Amino acid sequence: MEKRFGTVRALAGVDLDVAEGELLTILGPSGSGKTTLLKVVAGFEVPDEGTVRLGATDVTVAPPRARDVGMVFQNYALFPHLTVARNIAFPLEMRRVPRDEIARRVREVLELVELPHHAERLPRQLSGGQQQRVALARAIVFNPRLLLLDEPFGALDRKLREQMQLEVRRLQRRLKLTTLFITHDQEEALILSDRIAVMEAGRIAQLGTPDELYARPATRFVADFLGESNLIEGAWQGGAAVVPGFGPVPLPAPGTDGAPALLLLRPEALRIGAEAQSLPLRAEGRVVESVFLGVSEKFRVALDGGPELLARLPLRPSQPSPAREGDRVALGFAPEDLHVVRG
Amino acid sequence: MSSAVDRAAPARAEERRWVWLALPAVLFLGALFAWPVLRLLAQAVEGGTLEHLEKAVLDELYVEVLVESLEIALWVTLLCLALAYPVALWMLRAGPWGRALALFMLLLPFWTSVLVRTYAWMVILGRNGIVNRSLLEWGVITTPLPLLHNLTGVLIGMVHVLLPYMVFPIYAALLRMDPDLPRAAEGLGAPPWRVFQRVVLPLSLPGVFAGCALVFVLALGFFITPALLGGGRIIMISMLIEQQVREFLDWPFAAALSVVLLVVTLGAYWGLQRLTGGNRLAAG
Amino acid sequence: MLRRRQLLAAAATLPAPALAQGAAPRPAQIVVNASGGAMEQLFRRSYFAEFERRHGIRVVATSPVDFGKLRAMVESRNVEWTVTELGGQDFMRAKELNLLEPLDFSIIDLSRYPAAVRDTHIFPSSVYSTVMAYRSDVFPTGQHPVGWAQFWDVRRFPGPRSLRNHPVDNLEFALLADGVPMDRIYPIDMDRAFRKLEDIKPHITVWWTTGAQPAQLLVDREVVLASGWNGRFFDIARRGAPVAVEWTGGSLKQNAYGIPRGARNAVWGQHFLQIMTMPELQAVYATELAYPGLHPDTPNHVSAEVRPHLPTSPGNIEKQYWIGVEWWTQNGARAQERWNRFMLRRS
Repeated sequence: MEKRFGTVRALAGVDLDVAEGELLTILGPSGSGKTTLLKVVAGFEVPDEGTVRLGATDVTVAPPRARDVGMVFQNYALFPHLTVARNIAFPLEMRRVPRDEIARRVREVLELVELPHHAERLPRQLSGGQQQRVALARAIVFNPRLLLLDEPFGALDRKLREQMQLEVRRLQRRLKLTTLFITHDQEEALILSDRIAVMEAGRIAQLGTPDELYARPATRFVADFLGESNLIEGAWQGGAAVVPGFGPVPLPAPGTDGAPALLLLRPEALRIGAEAQSLPLRAEGRVVESVFLGVSEKFRVALDGGPELLARLPLRPSQPSPAREGDRVALGFAPEDLHVVRG
Repeated sequence: MSSAVDRAAPARAEERRWVWLALPAVLFLGALFAWPVLRLLAQAVEGGTLEHLEKAVLDELYVEVLVESLEIALWVTLLCLALAYPVALWMLRAGPWGRALALFMLLLPFWTSVLVRTYAWMVILGRNGIVNRSLLEWGVITTPLPLLHNLTGVLIGMVHVLLPYMVFPIYAALLRMDPDLPRAAEGLGAPPWRVFQRVVLPLSLPGVFAGCALVFVLALGFFITPALLGGGRIIMISMLIEQQVREFLDWPFAAALSVVLLVVTLGAYWGLQRLTGGNRLAAG
Repeated sequence: MLRRRQLLAAAATLPAPALAQGAAPRPAQIVVNASGGAMEQLFRRSYFAEFERRHGIRVVATSPVDFGKLRAMVESRNVEWTVTELGGQDFMRAKELNLLEPLDFSIIDLSRYPAAVRDTHIFPSSVYSTVMAYRSDVFPTGQHPVGWAQFWDVRRFPGPRSLRNHPVDNLEFALLADGVPMDRIYPIDMDRAFRKLEDIKPHITVWWTTGAQPAQLLVDREVVLASGWNGRFFDIARRGAPVAVEWTGGSLKQNAYGIPRGARNAVWGQHFLQIMTMPELQAVYATELAYPGLHPDTPNHVSAEVRPHLPTSPGNIEKQYWIGVEWWTQNGARAQERWNRFMLRRS
């Protein structure tokens, strides 16, 4: 699919398939084209090239109303002049559902989103979380073929956001809603998604399950965008990747000798001090910075004659911190934790 | 319900603390509006007699003129509404240049004197004006249409001047609307006219109400435009008031007529508000 | 404040008769209040220049004409104006309310003025007339309607017409159309006048409101016959519009000036008004606007082309009547109310 605005290519060849009952996340920073993609799917924009299909129907040029897509907007877009019940009834009224059935389905969906007693309130009388539930109820009450969620948690505070994320997840699984979820928040994407498509400059940089993407990012961008990472500029030599400071690591499917290799080491793959001693790959360095995070502690370590690396160690209440700022420490990792981003 | 009320209460206390900021405006209005209105009321019953008011209310001449004025004001309001709403909608979707152009064209009548405006209309609408000549030439009509010096001319002239008073409140109301709302309605299955009827229109009603009230009240007070474009056939109550003041210096009777006009205007305003549930919508 | 007190003191020390005998001290300036605009320019060129030359006193012009202000000035005994124009028919009221100094006929010579405009307090500065004008391409001069009876004759002179949206003049025109002779118009028989007006009402496409309207309506061919002020028709005819004036049945009215009672240099006001009677100077104003002063010699001082356009020229003035200011002062409000009813009635 392609979409251009003037000379700007907002979408530059996107090919995406959402499976029935799946929650697929479009993850990307602002300006990556995810909003345009959403608009094209919802029908607010027509792509310059390519097609949009829902099931077997080509809806590329169909108006939004003919698409049967339920959408939850960033700010929920609840109709401020209508009660909760009338908001939820809206898509059903537009589909000429009989009145008593509307009443029944509104009641059901309000139970589903756990707001059974709020039917007669106006949106402005609800909290942010409640408004979001209403928006969700309105988007699913007519059993759409596709549910679109456009950064729906952005306006909520952290605690409420986490709660709502899990609720949406449960609901989506239970109702087997085919869902396209748009977000720039990688943490959210990892929690909710069956699969994630990471977008960069109008293209899909990588598509895969959350753990695939996390463990084996295909590009520097994906590696950087999802979670924390140590990206190390190494080189191939004699069938092994030379990691500066650590030495050669033999890997399957090596690159040609002398070619650069971009290597990924997640911070949690690194061990410090005594734990590092038992690992095959080790290096010495000095702790530049340590940050206490409660469940874990993060260290920035400058290797002797090598790059600075980030290490994250789980903490147990009974165990003291393994190192302090300024300490000299040993760093180590297991070869299977090293991932080649680009050969 | 209760949570909304709870949240509103401290906000109201906060508001009360800043009330004094409105004091200059209140004094200004008091001096320039409330006081003269009271003087007017007093003048209408000058000398303790109700004879002026009685005449203003009972004499069929003034009653008839008042009714006709209300009718004209109502027509002007409806015509303005019919013309202004599409313009406001268009302005919402237009780019900055389109909006600037619309603004310029809407405000143009304010920058021209009423006489220039009126003569311009004469050139356009007259018996030998542009419209009639064109229609005659194209064979659409065989005798010139009476577009001027009658009700048609008055309505055209008044709508021309008052249109901005309708466009801007509606435009402002539309601007306040979250642009995702019509989109959401469309996505939920509403065809365009349903989007308009169920979402855009109800949300713009406060603007519509404000615009209608403004135009109606202003239209009731018009006297130069109807005098010039009505060819003398259209008499509005404000013309009679002006006549009493300027020509006969009969201030008590002018005051009595003004009081009647004021009461009727307030009544109409109140009725309109009741009709649209103005308060509730204005709050939303 | 100080100035005012000094002046009052000065006035108290001066014996009043001395003032009246012209031995009054020569002030630096006098104040003439009038409509301003183009008229002030013409006054500056004629009356002001002559007064300054002859008496060595500067003339300061102010505007606008404001009856309320005149009244307030006189009643508070703080009169700024030496001479003032009196708008419309206000001069009658000004005299009745005793707001004017009497005219001093030892200074002002009105002996050759028409008797109709000579008054003890009101100075007739110029004259204008509400006359009938016609499209000369529709009714060639000579075959055009003459007099209001023919204006009413829609069969012989078909076409849309315009009259003023006001009872003044129209009641008189209706009576003239109905055969009342010019000298028998007043007191106006309103029933008869309005009855006659009903006949012409359907043929009046525009009841005009402003003085510019009838001229414009004729130029635009919106109407072929109209009543209006002679100066307006003079103006468009001079600029080439096929519009001509018929003086028969014209309604003459005077513009008036007066000296506010208690004016500081009232004597010099009298001298100023005397300057305003000079026919040579009146001719300047008449040539530009066709509103001549009332000195019978004035038409002799304008060019031959302008002369037929003046309401006071011999041959014109006899065909017209002087409006009954007194009748209108007494009956104006009543006539207006009937007029409103007349206009409102759909027929």
